[in-house]
Amino acid sequence: MARRTGLWSIVLAVLVVAPALAHHSFAVYDHTRTLTLRGTVTKFQWTNPHGFIEMDVPQSDGSMKHYSVELTSINMMQRVGWRSNMIKAGDKIQVVVAPLLSGEPVGLGMEVVLADGKTMALPVPAIGSFKRTDAQQ
Amino acid sequence: MSGTRALGPSLAVTGALLVVATHVLVAQTTAPDITGSWLRQGFTVGVRPTGQQGPTPPPPAPPPPLKQPYLKEWQDRIQKIREADAKGQPIATNAVACLPEGMPGMMTATFPMEILQSRGQITVIEEAYTQVRRVLMDRPQQKLEDIEPGFYGHSVGRWEGDTLVVDTIGVKENVRYQNVPHSTEMRITERMQLKAPDVLWNEITISDPTVLEKPWTFTFAYQKMKDYTLLEYICEDNREFADDQGRQKIRVDPAR
Repeated sequence: MARRTGLWSIVLAVLVVAPALAHHSFAVYDHTRTLTLRGTVTKFQWTNPHGFIEMDVPQSDGSMKHYSVELTSINMMQRVGWRSNMIKAGDKIQVVVAPLLSGEPVGLGMEVVLADGKTMALPVPAIGSFKRTDAQQ
Repeated sequence: MSGTRALGPSLAVTGALLVVATHVLVAQTTAPDITGSWLRQGFTVGVRPTGQQGPTPPPPAPPPPLKQPYLKEWQDRIQKIREADAKGQPIATNAVACLPEGMPGMMTATFPMEILQSRGQITVIEEAYTQVRRVLMDRPQQKLEDIEPGFYGHSVGRWEGDTLVVDTIGVKENVRYQNVPHSTEMRITERMQLKAPDVLWNEITISDPTVLEKPWTFTFAYQKMKDYTLLEYICEDNREFADDQGRQKIRVDPAR
Protein backbone atom coordinates (compact mmCIF):
# COMPACT_ATOMS: atom_id res chain seq x y z
CA MET A 1 0.00 0.00 0.00
CA ALA A 2 2.87 2.31 0.91
CA ARG A 3 4.41 1.55 -2.45
CA ARG A 4 1.14 2.29 -4.20
CA THR A 5 0.89 5.63 -2.43
CA GLY A 6 4.47 6.41 -3.39
CA LEU A 7 3.78 5.65 -7.03
CA TRP A 8 0.66 7.77 -6.91
CA SER A 9 2.66 10.68 -5.58
CA ILE A 10 5.09 10.40 -8.48
CA VAL A 11 2.32 10.06 -11.04
CA LEU A 12 0.44 13.04 -9.61
CA ALA A 13 3.58 15.15 -9.32
CA VAL A 14 4.44 14.48 -12.96
CA LEU A 15 0.90 15.25 -14.06
CA VAL A 16 0.79 18.42 -12.05
CA VAL A 17 4.06 19.78 -13.40
CA ALA A 18 3.50 18.62 -16.98
CA PRO A 19 1.64 21.51 -18.53
CA ALA A 20 -0.63 21.42 -21.53
CA LEU A 21 1.96 22.24 -24.15
CA ALA A 22 -0.37 21.58 -26.99
CA HIS A 23 -3.90 22.54 -27.82
CA HIS A 24 -4.91 18.90 -27.46
CA SER A 25 -3.60 15.45 -26.68
CA PHE A 26 -1.52 13.68 -29.34
CA ALA A 27 -2.56 10.30 -27.89
CA VAL A 28 -4.78 9.71 -30.94
CA TYR A 29 -1.60 9.13 -32.96
CA ASP A 30 0.43 5.90 -33.07
CA HIS A 31 3.57 6.38 -31.01
CA THR A 32 5.10 3.07 -32.15
CA ARG A 33 5.57 3.67 -35.88
CA THR A 34 5.91 6.38 -38.48
CA LEU A 35 5.08 6.46 -42.20
CA THR A 36 6.93 8.27 -44.95
CA LEU A 37 4.47 9.89 -47.34
CA ARG A 38 5.71 10.96 -50.80
CA GLY A 39 3.19 12.86 -52.86
CA THR A 40 1.79 16.06 -54.25
CA VAL A 41 0.46 18.86 -52.11
CA THR A 42 -3.15 19.89 -52.75
CA LYS A 43 -3.22 22.52 -49.98
CA PHE A 44 -0.94 23.99 -47.34
CA GLN A 45 -3.22 25.32 -44.63
CA TRP A 46 -1.57 27.98 -42.45
CA THR A 47 -4.08 28.07 -39.57
CA ASN A 48 -4.42 27.68 -35.84
CA PRO A 49 -4.93 25.78 -33.63
CA HIS A 50 -2.96 23.60 -36.06
CA GLY A 51 -1.65 23.87 -39.58
CA PHE A 52 -2.33 21.14 -42.16
CA ILE A 53 -0.75 19.77 -45.30
CA GLU A 54 -3.26 18.13 -47.64
CA MET A 55 -1.58 15.77 -50.08
CA ASP A 56 -2.25 13.02 -52.59
CA VAL A 57 -0.01 9.99 -52.16
CA PRO A 58 0.35 7.45 -55.00
CA GLN A 59 -0.08 3.86 -53.81
CA SER A 60 1.81 0.79 -54.99
CA ASP A 61 -1.34 -0.51 -56.76
CA GLY A 62 -1.50 2.63 -58.89
CA SER A 63 -4.33 4.27 -56.94
CA MET A 64 -4.12 7.62 -55.19
CA LYS A 65 -4.76 8.10 -51.47
CA HIS A 66 -5.41 11.47 -49.89
CA TYR A 67 -3.75 12.25 -46.57
CA SER A 68 -4.24 15.13 -44.15
CA VAL A 69 -1.06 15.90 -42.23
CA GLU A 70 -1.70 17.68 -38.97
CA LEU A 71 1.01 20.11 -37.96
CA THR A 72 1.59 21.96 -34.69
CA SER A 73 0.41 25.49 -33.99
CA ILE A 74 1.68 27.78 -36.75
CA ASN A 75 2.99 30.06 -33.99
CA MET A 76 5.38 27.35 -32.83
CA MET A 77 6.28 26.60 -36.45
CA GLN A 78 6.98 30.25 -37.18
CA ARG A 79 9.20 30.58 -34.13
CA VAL A 80 11.47 27.80 -35.43
CA GLY A 81 11.69 29.17 -38.95
CA TRP A 82 8.62 27.95 -40.82
CA ARG A 83 6.89 30.36 -43.22
CA SER A 84 3.51 30.17 -44.94
CA ASN A 85 5.11 30.31 -48.40
CA MET A 86 7.39 27.31 -47.93
CA ILE A 87 4.86 24.87 -49.37
CA LYS A 88 2.30 25.42 -52.13
CA ALA A 89 -0.21 23.31 -54.04
CA GLY A 90 1.51 21.16 -56.64
CA ASP A 91 4.77 20.79 -54.66
CA LYS A 92 6.20 17.29 -54.53
CA ILE A 93 7.20 16.69 -50.93
CA GLN A 94 8.04 13.94 -48.47
CA VAL A 95 6.58 13.91 -44.99
CA VAL A 96 7.25 11.64 -42.01
CA VAL A 97 4.06 11.20 -39.99
CA ALA A 98 2.79 9.31 -36.97
CA PRO A 99 -0.48 7.83 -38.31
CA LEU A 100 -3.84 8.07 -36.57
CA LEU A 101 -4.52 4.95 -34.48
CA SER A 102 -8.04 4.80 -35.97
CA GLY A 103 -6.57 3.99 -39.39
CA GLU A 104 -8.08 7.08 -41.02
CA PRO A 105 -5.73 8.78 -43.53
CA VAL A 106 -4.41 11.43 -41.16
CA GLY A 107 -0.92 11.73 -39.69
CA LEU A 108 0.90 13.97 -37.28
CA GLY A 109 3.76 15.63 -39.17
CA MET A 110 7.24 15.11 -37.71
CA GLU A 111 9.51 16.18 -40.55
CA VAL A 112 9.05 17.51 -44.08
CA VAL A 113 11.40 17.42 -47.06
CA LEU A 114 10.34 20.45 -49.08
CA ALA A 115 10.17 20.60 -52.88
CA ASP A 116 13.64 22.23 -52.94
CA GLY A 117 15.11 19.35 -50.93
CA LYS A 118 15.40 21.26 -47.66
CA THR A 119 14.41 19.30 -44.54
CA MET A 120 12.27 21.08 -41.96
CA ALA A 121 11.47 19.58 -38.56
CA LEU A 122 8.17 20.22 -36.80
CA PRO A 123 8.20 21.35 -33.16
CA VAL A 124 6.03 18.50 -31.87
CA PRO A 125 5.91 18.42 -28.05
CA ALA A 126 7.54 15.27 -26.61
CA ILE A 127 8.63 14.22 -30.10
CA GLY A 128 10.98 11.72 -28.49
CA SER A 129 7.97 9.69 -27.37
CA PHE A 130 7.25 8.81 -31.02
CA LYS A 131 9.22 5.84 -32.40
CA ARG A 132 10.53 6.58 -35.89
CA THR A 133 10.20 3.61 -38.26
CA ASP A 134 9.59 5.60 -41.46
CA ALA A 135 7.80 2.79 -43.34
CA GLN A 136 7.18 3.77 -46.95
CA GLN A 137 3.60 4.52 -47.82
CA MET B 1 3.30 91.72 5.62
CA SER B 2 0.08 90.96 3.91
CA GLY B 3 2.13 89.66 0.95
CA THR B 4 3.97 87.26 3.25
CA ARG B 5 0.69 86.11 4.76
CA ALA B 6 -0.69 85.50 1.29
CA LEU B 7 2.48 83.68 0.31
CA GLY B 8 2.29 81.36 3.31
CA PRO B 9 -0.72 79.30 2.28
CA SER B 10 0.32 79.18 -1.36
CA LEU B 11 3.77 77.92 -0.33
CA ALA B 12 2.13 75.32 1.84
CA VAL B 13 -0.08 74.21 -1.06
CA THR B 14 2.90 74.12 -3.42
CA GLY B 15 4.85 72.15 -0.86
CA ALA B 16 2.02 69.69 -0.43
CA LEU B 17 1.68 69.32 -4.18
CA LEU B 18 5.42 68.72 -4.43
CA VAL B 19 5.21 66.03 -1.78
CA VAL B 20 2.34 64.35 -3.62
CA ALA B 21 4.10 64.69 -6.97
CA THR B 22 7.31 63.29 -5.54
CA HIS B 23 5.40 60.44 -3.95
CA VAL B 24 3.74 59.60 -7.25
CA LEU B 25 7.05 59.92 -9.08
CA VAL B 26 8.83 57.71 -6.56
CA ALA B 27 6.01 55.16 -6.72
CA GLN B 28 6.27 55.18 -10.50
CA THR B 29 10.02 55.03 -10.66
CA THR B 30 10.37 52.31 -8.05
CA ALA B 31 7.83 50.02 -9.74
CA PRO B 32 10.02 47.56 -11.66
CA ASP B 33 9.74 47.47 -15.43
CA ILE B 34 8.21 44.11 -16.27
CA THR B 35 6.84 45.19 -19.65
CA GLY B 36 7.79 42.80 -22.44
CA SER B 37 7.41 39.26 -23.74
CA TRP B 38 7.98 36.35 -21.38
CA LEU B 39 8.00 32.56 -21.66
CA ARG B 40 8.02 29.82 -19.02
CA GLN B 41 11.60 28.85 -18.31
CA GLY B 42 12.58 25.45 -19.62
CA PHE B 43 10.13 25.42 -22.54
CA THR B 44 12.23 24.87 -25.60
CA VAL B 45 9.70 23.34 -28.01
CA GLY B 46 8.97 25.76 -30.81
CA VAL B 47 10.74 28.69 -29.20
CA ARG B 48 14.05 30.45 -29.22
CA PRO B 49 14.30 32.09 -25.82
CA THR B 50 16.75 34.92 -25.50
CA GLY B 51 18.19 36.86 -22.62
CA GLN B 52 20.05 35.95 -19.49
CA GLN B 53 19.26 32.79 -17.61
CA GLY B 54 18.25 33.42 -14.03
CA PRO B 55 18.77 31.80 -10.68
CA THR B 56 17.92 28.20 -9.89
CA PRO B 57 14.35 27.53 -11.05
CA PRO B 58 11.62 27.28 -8.42
CA PRO B 59 10.61 23.78 -7.26
CA PRO B 60 7.83 21.97 -9.16
CA ALA B 61 4.27 22.45 -7.99
CA PRO B 62 3.13 20.12 -5.21
CA PRO B 63 -0.14 18.22 -5.75
CA PRO B 64 -3.20 20.27 -4.79
CA PRO B 65 -4.11 19.83 -1.10
CA LEU B 66 -7.71 18.90 -1.86
CA LYS B 67 -10.22 17.86 0.77
CA GLN B 68 -12.20 14.66 0.41
CA PRO B 69 -14.19 13.80 -1.63
CA TYR B 70 -12.59 16.27 -4.07
CA LEU B 71 -9.17 14.62 -3.79
CA LYS B 72 -10.56 11.19 -4.66
CA GLU B 73 -12.57 12.63 -7.55
CA TRP B 74 -9.49 14.43 -8.89
CA GLN B 75 -7.30 11.32 -8.60
CA ASP B 76 -9.97 9.27 -10.37
CA ARG B 77 -10.16 11.90 -13.12
CA ILE B 78 -6.36 11.86 -13.58
CA GLN B 79 -6.42 8.06 -13.70
CA LYS B 80 -9.16 8.13 -16.35
CA ILE B 81 -7.17 10.62 -18.43
CA ARG B 82 -4.10 8.37 -18.26
CA GLU B 83 -6.05 5.26 -19.19
CA ALA B 84 -7.82 7.04 -22.04
CA ASP B 85 -4.50 8.36 -23.40
CA ALA B 86 -2.99 4.87 -23.18
CA LYS B 87 -5.90 3.54 -25.25
CA GLY B 88 -5.44 6.30 -27.82
CA GLN B 89 -8.85 7.73 -26.97
CA PRO B 90 -8.05 10.90 -25.03
CA ILE B 91 -10.77 12.70 -23.09
CA ALA B 92 -11.68 16.02 -24.68
CA THR B 93 -10.71 19.10 -22.69
CA ASN B 94 -11.80 22.75 -22.93
CA ALA B 95 -8.79 23.28 -25.20
CA VAL B 96 -10.20 20.84 -27.77
CA ALA B 97 -13.04 23.33 -28.24
CA CYS B 98 -10.44 26.13 -28.55
CA LEU B 99 -11.59 27.63 -25.26
CA PRO B 100 -8.96 29.70 -23.46
CA GLU B 101 -7.12 28.34 -20.43
CA GLY B 102 -8.30 31.18 -18.18
CA MET B 103 -6.89 31.72 -14.70
CA PRO B 104 -4.46 30.60 -13.52
CA GLY B 105 -3.74 28.31 -16.51
CA MET B 106 -2.90 31.15 -18.89
CA MET B 107 -0.08 32.21 -16.57
CA THR B 108 1.77 28.95 -17.32
CA ALA B 109 2.97 30.85 -20.42
CA THR B 110 3.82 27.81 -22.51
CA PHE B 111 3.35 30.18 -25.43
CA PRO B 112 4.87 33.65 -25.08
CA MET B 113 3.06 36.06 -22.75
CA GLU B 114 3.22 39.85 -22.96
CA ILE B 115 2.98 42.15 -19.95
CA LEU B 116 2.09 45.81 -20.53
CA GLN B 117 2.26 48.44 -17.79
CA SER B 118 0.12 51.50 -18.28
CA ARG B 119 -1.48 54.12 -16.04
CA GLY B 120 -3.76 52.36 -13.58
CA GLN B 121 -3.63 49.01 -15.33
CA ILE B 122 -1.33 46.10 -16.05
CA THR B 123 -2.39 43.96 -18.98
CA VAL B 124 -1.33 40.37 -19.58
CA ILE B 125 -1.72 38.92 -23.05
CA GLU B 126 -1.08 35.21 -23.65
CA GLU B 127 -0.32 34.38 -27.26
CA ALA B 128 -2.18 31.05 -27.24
CA TYR B 129 -5.89 31.72 -27.84
CA THR B 130 -5.13 35.48 -27.62
CA GLN B 131 -6.01 35.48 -23.92
CA VAL B 132 -6.16 38.90 -22.27
CA ARG B 133 -6.47 39.76 -18.60
CA ARG B 134 -6.52 43.18 -17.02
CA VAL B 135 -5.12 43.92 -13.59
CA LEU B 136 -6.68 47.14 -12.26
CA MET B 137 -4.13 48.88 -10.06
CA ASP B 138 -4.53 50.47 -6.66
CA ARG B 139 -8.21 49.96 -6.15
CA PRO B 140 -10.17 47.69 -3.85
CA GLN B 141 -11.39 44.32 -5.01
CA GLN B 142 -15.08 44.17 -5.81
CA LYS B 143 -17.50 42.03 -3.84
CA LEU B 144 -17.80 38.54 -5.27
CA GLU B 145 -21.56 38.96 -5.75
CA ASP B 146 -20.90 42.00 -7.97
CA ILE B 147 -18.64 40.07 -10.36
CA GLU B 148 -19.97 37.95 -13.18
CA PRO B 149 -17.85 34.77 -13.35
CA GLY B 150 -15.45 34.57 -16.28
CA PHE B 151 -12.37 32.78 -17.59
CA TYR B 152 -9.94 35.37 -16.20
CA GLY B 153 -11.90 36.56 -13.18
CA HIS B 154 -11.60 40.08 -11.80
CA SER B 155 -8.08 41.18 -10.87
CA VAL B 156 -6.79 44.10 -8.82
CA GLY B 157 -3.13 44.75 -8.10
CA ARG B 158 -0.67 46.88 -6.18
CA TRP B 159 3.07 47.18 -5.88
CA GLU B 160 4.46 46.16 -2.50
CA GLY B 161 7.99 47.45 -2.94
CA ASP B 162 9.44 45.47 -5.83
CA THR B 163 6.63 42.88 -5.81
CA LEU B 164 3.45 43.10 -7.84
CA VAL B 165 0.64 41.58 -5.79
CA VAL B 166 -2.49 40.64 -7.73
CA ASP B 167 -5.76 39.43 -6.27
CA THR B 168 -8.18 37.56 -8.54
CA ILE B 169 -11.68 36.29 -7.82
CA GLY B 170 -14.68 35.39 -9.97
CA VAL B 171 -13.25 32.54 -12.09
CA LYS B 172 -15.84 30.23 -13.65
CA GLU B 173 -16.09 26.81 -12.02
CA ASN B 174 -15.54 25.01 -15.33
CA VAL B 175 -12.17 26.77 -15.76
CA ARG B 176 -9.98 24.18 -14.06
CA TYR B 177 -6.21 24.39 -13.93
CA GLN B 178 -4.75 20.86 -14.05
CA ASN B 179 -8.31 19.51 -13.73
CA VAL B 180 -8.41 20.70 -10.11
CA PRO B 181 -11.94 21.59 -9.04
CA HIS B 182 -12.73 24.86 -7.31
CA SER B 183 -15.72 26.66 -5.86
CA THR B 184 -16.97 30.15 -6.67
CA GLU B 185 -15.01 31.30 -3.63
CA MET B 186 -11.60 30.52 -5.12
CA ARG B 187 -9.14 33.38 -4.64
CA ILE B 188 -5.87 33.57 -6.56
CA THR B 189 -3.04 35.65 -5.15
CA GLU B 190 -0.05 36.28 -7.36
CA ARG B 191 3.25 37.77 -6.22
CA MET B 192 5.43 38.71 -9.17
CA GLN B 193 9.02 39.75 -8.68
CA LEU B 194 12.05 40.15 -10.94
CA LYS B 195 14.72 37.67 -9.80
CA ALA B 196 17.16 38.88 -12.46
CA PRO B 197 16.74 41.54 -15.16
CA ASP B 198 15.39 38.90 -17.56
CA VAL B 199 13.77 36.52 -15.07
CA LEU B 200 10.36 37.05 -13.51
CA TRP B 201 8.88 34.76 -10.88
CA ASN B 202 5.17 34.48 -10.19
CA GLU B 203 4.28 32.84 -6.90
CA ILE B 204 0.66 31.76 -7.19
CA THR B 205 -1.42 30.89 -4.14
CA ILE B 206 -4.88 29.45 -4.59
CA SER B 207 -7.15 29.52 -1.59
CA ASP B 208 -10.56 27.92 -1.57
CA PRO B 209 -11.88 26.82 1.84
CA THR B 210 -14.61 24.71 0.20
CA VAL B 211 -12.33 22.32 -1.69
CA LEU B 212 -8.79 22.86 -0.32
CA GLU B 213 -7.42 21.78 3.08
CA LYS B 214 -4.96 24.68 2.92
CA PRO B 215 -3.81 27.16 0.26
CA TRP B 216 -2.05 25.64 -2.77
CA THR B 217 1.12 27.50 -3.68
CA PHE B 218 3.41 27.05 -6.68
CA THR B 219 5.74 29.29 -8.64
CA PHE B 220 6.21 29.87 -12.35
CA ALA B 221 9.49 31.35 -13.60
CA TYR B 222 9.45 33.30 -16.84
CA GLN B 223 12.33 34.13 -19.16
CA LYS B 224 12.30 37.45 -21.03
CA MET B 225 12.09 37.11 -24.80
CA LYS B 226 13.94 40.19 -25.97
CA ASP B 227 12.72 41.74 -29.22
CA TYR B 228 9.88 39.20 -29.52
CA THR B 229 6.52 40.48 -30.72
CA LEU B 230 3.53 38.28 -29.97
CA LEU B 231 2.01 36.57 -32.99
CA GLU B 232 -1.71 36.41 -33.63
CA TYR B 233 -3.55 33.22 -32.68
CA ILE B 234 -7.01 32.60 -34.09
CA CYS B 235 -8.76 29.22 -33.99
CA GLU B 236 -9.52 29.50 -37.67
CA ASP B 237 -10.01 25.83 -38.51
CA ASN B 238 -10.34 23.61 -35.47
CA ARG B 239 -10.77 20.05 -36.71
CA GLU B 240 -10.71 18.57 -33.22
CA PHE B 241 -14.01 17.91 -31.50
CA ALA B 242 -15.55 15.97 -28.61
CA ASP B 243 -17.70 13.00 -29.66
CA ASP B 244 -20.85 11.95 -27.80
CA GLN B 245 -18.68 9.94 -25.38
CA GLY B 246 -16.61 13.04 -24.56
CA ARG B 247 -13.58 11.67 -26.42
CA GLN B 248 -11.30 13.84 -28.52
CA LYS B 249 -11.66 13.15 -32.24
CA ILE B 250 -10.40 14.76 -35.41
CA ARG B 251 -12.60 15.65 -38.35
CA VAL B 252 -11.41 13.79 -41.43
CA ASP B 253 -12.34 15.28 -44.78
CA PRO B 254 -10.96 13.29 -47.72
CA ALA B 255 -12.36 15.85 -50.20
CA ARG B 256 -9.66 18.38 -49.35
